[in-house]
Amino acid sequence: MNKKTNPISHFFSMLGRDLKDIGVTIADGDWKTKISCLILGFGPLLRGQIVKGLAFLGTEILFIWYLLSFGLKYLSKIATLGTVETQKISRRTVYGDNSFLILLYSILTIVLICLFTLIWRMNLRENRKEELLLRAGKTLPTNRKALYSLLDENFDKTLLALPCTGIFLFTVLPILFMICVAFTNYDKNHQSPTNLFTWIGLENFKNLFSFGGSGFGSTFFQVLAWTLVWAFFATFLDYFLGLAVAMLINKKGIRFKKFWRTIFVMTIAVPQFVSLLYIYKMFANDGLVNGWLLKLGVIKHYIPFWSNPMLARITIIVINIWIGIPYMMLIATGLLMNIPADLYESAALDGANSRQMFRHITLPYMLFVTGPFLLTQFTGNLNNFNVIYLLTRGGPQSMQLTGNAGSTDLLVTWLYKMTVTDTDYKMAAVIGIMVFIVTAVTSLVVYNRLPSVKDEEGFQ
Amino acid sequence: MNRKAVSILAVSAMAASMMSSTAAFADDLDFSSVSEVKVWVADAAVDFTNAQIENFKSANPDFADITFTVEAVGEGDAANNMITDVEAGADVYTFAQDQIARLVSAGALEEVAPDIIEALTTQNDQGAVGAATVGETLYAYPITSDNGYFLYYDSSVISDPSTLEGIIADCEAAGKNIYMEINSGWYQTAFFFATGATLTYETDDSGNFTAADVTYASDEGLAALKGIIKLASSSAFQNGSSAGDATNVAAIVDGAWDKETVQQLFGDNYACAKLPTFSDDNGNAYQLSGFGGFKLLGVKPQEDDAKLAVCDALAAYLSGEEVQTARFEALGWGPSNINAQQSEAVKADPALSALAEQLAFTIPQGQYPNEYWSLATGLGDDIIQGNLTADSSDEDLLAALQTFQDTCISYAG
Amino acid sequence: MSKTKVKNEGFSSRSGNQKRSLFFSYILLVILSVIWLFPFFGLLMQSFRSYATEYGGMVDYLIPKNFSLDNYRYLFSGETNYVRWYGNTVLIAFVTSMLETLIVICVSYALSRMRFRGRTALMRFWLILGMFPGFLTMICMYFLLKQFGLTQAGAVPGLILIYAASSGMKYYVCKGYFDTIPRALDESARIDGANRAQIMFITILPLSKPIIIYTALTAFLAPWCDFVFASYVAFGHDKSYNVAVAMQRWVFTNDYQGYFTRFCAGGVLVAIPVTLLFMALQKYYVEGVTGGAVKG
Repeated sequence: MNKKTNPISHFFSMLGRDLKDIGVTIADGDWKTKISCLILGFGPLLRGQIVKGLAFLGTEILFIWYLLSFGLKYLSKIATLGTVETQKISRRTVYGDNSFLILLYSILTIVLICLFTLIWRMNLRENRKEELLLRAGKTLPTNRKALYSLLDENFDKTLLALPCTGIFLFTVLPILFMICVAFTNYDKNHQSPTNLFTWIGLENFKNLFSFGGSGFGSTFFQVLAWTLVWAFFATFLDYFLGLAVAMLINKKGIRFKKFWRTIFVMTIAVPQFVSLLYIYKMFANDGLVNGWLLKLGVIKHYIPFWSNPMLARITIIVINIWIGIPYMMLIATGLLMNIPADLYESAALDGANSRQMFRHITLPYMLFVTGPFLLTQFTGNLNNFNVIYLLTRGGPQSMQLTGNAGSTDLLVTWLYKMTVTDTDYKMAAVIGIMVFIVTAVTSLVVYNRLPSVKDEEGFQ
Repeated sequence: MNRKAVSILAVSAMAASMMSSTAAFADDLDFSSVSEVKVWVADAAVDFTNAQIENFKSANPDFADITFTVEAVGEGDAANNMITDVEAGADVYTFAQDQIARLVSAGALEEVAPDIIEALTTQNDQGAVGAATVGETLYAYPITSDNGYFLYYDSSVISDPSTLEGIIADCEAAGKNIYMEINSGWYQTAFFFATGATLTYETDDSGNFTAADVTYASDEGLAALKGIIKLASSSAFQNGSSAGDATNVAAIVDGAWDKETVQQLFGDNYACAKLPTFSDDNGNAYQLSGFGGFKLLGVKPQEDDAKLAVCDALAAYLSGEEVQTARFEALGWGPSNINAQQSEAVKADPALSALAEQLAFTIPQGQYPNEYWSLATGLGDDIIQGNLTADSSDEDLLAALQTFQDTCISYAG
Repeated sequence: MSKTKVKNEGFSSRSGNQKRSLFFSYILLVILSVIWLFPFFGLLMQSFRSYATEYGGMVDYLIPKNFSLDNYRYLFSGETNYVRWYGNTVLIAFVTSMLETLIVICVSYALSRMRFRGRTALMRFWLILGMFPGFLTMICMYFLLKQFGLTQAGAVPGLILIYAASSGMKYYVCKGYFDTIPRALDESARIDGANRAQIMFITILPLSKPIIIYTALTAFLAPWCDFVFASYVAFGHDKSYNVAVAMQRWVFTNDYQGYFTRFCAGGVLVAIPVTLLFMALQKYYVEGVTGGAVKG
């Protein structure tokens, strides 16, 4: 980790070595190995490694079948994303090319081709290994043993095979797809299967950074700013207040500690769509809170908790405290117990009062230990969909904001609205990439500055 | 389901025209290939629609083996869902007319079968036909003409529902609320059209907007905007249009679909009226206007002629006079069919007669781009949150209207 | 985490001063508790408001004028598919919880106890993947599932597949736990002739009850809240909805006016079992989040 090597040059030197190795394998190999370049698993099969050989051969057959029957059909159209328009034959509709599926399956095919290349490489390596073993006069492991290794030295492959496939299909593939969508005109006017969409280069990114008119520029930066402000308050307010509540309950002499904690924990247990939707109604202009205040004569005009942008933002942050404190309280409770008691004892001997002890022992300890946690909380809050969406759905809106955005919209809720309400997939994809960049940059910058990362020994 | 002699006659006329449409295909169409037809209607109409489909099936033995699945998908969600995935969407579905251009450009609406166009256009009111037309093409089957709004009020609180100022004063005095959803592009136009400002779009046949006629940035627009601001600044004002979610309400601008809810809210004091007038600073009074709106039934483009014929026949049936009358009786939805509108029951309904009275002042709702609605929400929210207030100078208000107008125009072409 | 260390506060003199401060602490705790419990109390009260006499919409008072079970009766009257939605949610939550626990344990075990080529690269890659917002890929996931026939009518298995498929990336807390189990245990088991699979099942997993329960619990809770993806996958097919999808319509959609008290009743019925389960397993949850937080 600490070796400062340039990752790019490292990669190329690896690649170079690998290519050389392939050359050696083929040039130096026997005829079985050479044929294995075309027919995967040929060498292992002839050398009695039935299981391994069949696995390689099976993969190749499947791959070729996939390409011919399915993959190539789509891949051949990737440059245009389809040209055949939807037609009407009398009143019957005959759909043309489906740009969506062309793009999706092309990506799948490209990735599968890469994977197959890796398997081809593995096949060569196995051939080489077997040859070297045989030349050295040793025997090859039996088939039984090869299978058994999947429960032993290759157990990691057994464990990871299924999860990795799942992540590839339902996370990696969709993300690659959406990144590509950011470079197309896929929106409500170019929707599959009726209409085609196609590549338009960097247009969408230009639109994101264009100011004035219907450009997204000013709206984007306003939403981004609020996203960051929100994440900051949501993280740190909850952190310190949660810590305070934990210390309050932990205080010596307070009884029924478990009871108090359980009350707070209710907010974690009750599903948010139930509790937050009720709270949303509670604070509505004509809701319970305003109703009471009006009846009591405290106010003459209802308080626009949700319909005034500034007030809506504040209300959201405050209500998020209601959600966030219990979580932090649980964590802090556990951690406070871990602070070595002798630190406090010696401080007490030096005559420190409890406020000084908090400032010089409790707080630094907590910040040190929970640094990375705070970071993940922060990035989590950047994408905190539920609280915003269940409370305000991003509103109130304003004419000064484009793209259906509202004053309390985070980038993610805006992204959601674009996908579902406006079906503006191209801009949604661009916003998604921006969310990624914001999260990644924050994480990188902060992570390397964390005390617990810089100084592993710290408080130990 | 009690049928009247009159409607039976009309049904047979309708059925005859409808059967001729299927008859044209009947020789070469094989309905056994059609297994399922999906229908989306609002939750309240599911049972009603199921019952009507049974009637439809018994009238058409050819379709006896087809499964008709009715799902509760509200008129608002229907368009979003259809556009997300046309293939998985319903074959026949109801939607509010403001979605029609969007649905056409997304390829989610099939043109109305040519042999029924004539019947549809003559049997339904003009506004409804206009709402179902995009460019020159008829894309949907009107089923109601009640998608407009008027005033419901509590007659024990409001003495005279004819002026907005009077209503506001009565509400403030009684500590009750007046509801109007001013951050909706649909209700907002009540003020703008009242003073004579205009906002219309032209579309081509595939649902693209080609031109806009907007005059909001004018003296008329200014007067209307001031009217809205005056309403919003009242302590009795609440933004909203769902009677079921309103509290402490004495007056609400809402539609006929909330009739029963409002009846429950007001009890014996239930009353309806056309929208009131409002006055500007110089004492000129304007009658509130607005949109007259319609609910439509759409058929999704089909890849199979036989299925398309089934869907066409079903849509024609569900939008026919008999079903419209029955729909009014079962759900209280005001018909778009001219004959059904003449029925005594429809005429006697206070909500529908208030709506009919209001209709004289409204403009049949044409096609508007989807972005218009969120822009209008922006304008309304700017008023509610106090960016535009009674203290704003005319220049500021005109500048806001100019932005609004320019943005509206930018949606076309 | 021994309890003998709980001595971090209150070293001031044991006098009236301390008593007063304790008193204020109790007052504060009571106030906070009231605030914290108020929404739940309100929810419960509204759910008992009589539909027949006070209608189901919003009101600006808390205590109903007439208590009744109208709203609960409505949920089970067969007029809605509430029972079906509830069943769907339980099914999804339960199966997802099982699958996700299995997957998370497999991944965590491999990443914690085994060393193989590409291990750190894999972890880093997943970390980067996790930085993309989940909603970004909604439309793509929908069409992927559709290819397998797992939308609308097949939405329940489809959702389970989606939840479970990407759960491998949530290995972090569990791996942290495995990291704390001494490696010496593995080594002695190896000397006894056990292979790695046997070590995992016989030696390590029996020691991991808390983290297994934590993983299962968090996985079980998540689907109850999902109204975004679940509605996207199941749209237009009422019988495939989960409670969140179906019931948020009662608050957000104009078609369902006067459904607010029904929403409250349905919400109460969702909240009670989930809360009870959570309270019963709270100990493990606390252990999990605390461990996760420290390792970051």
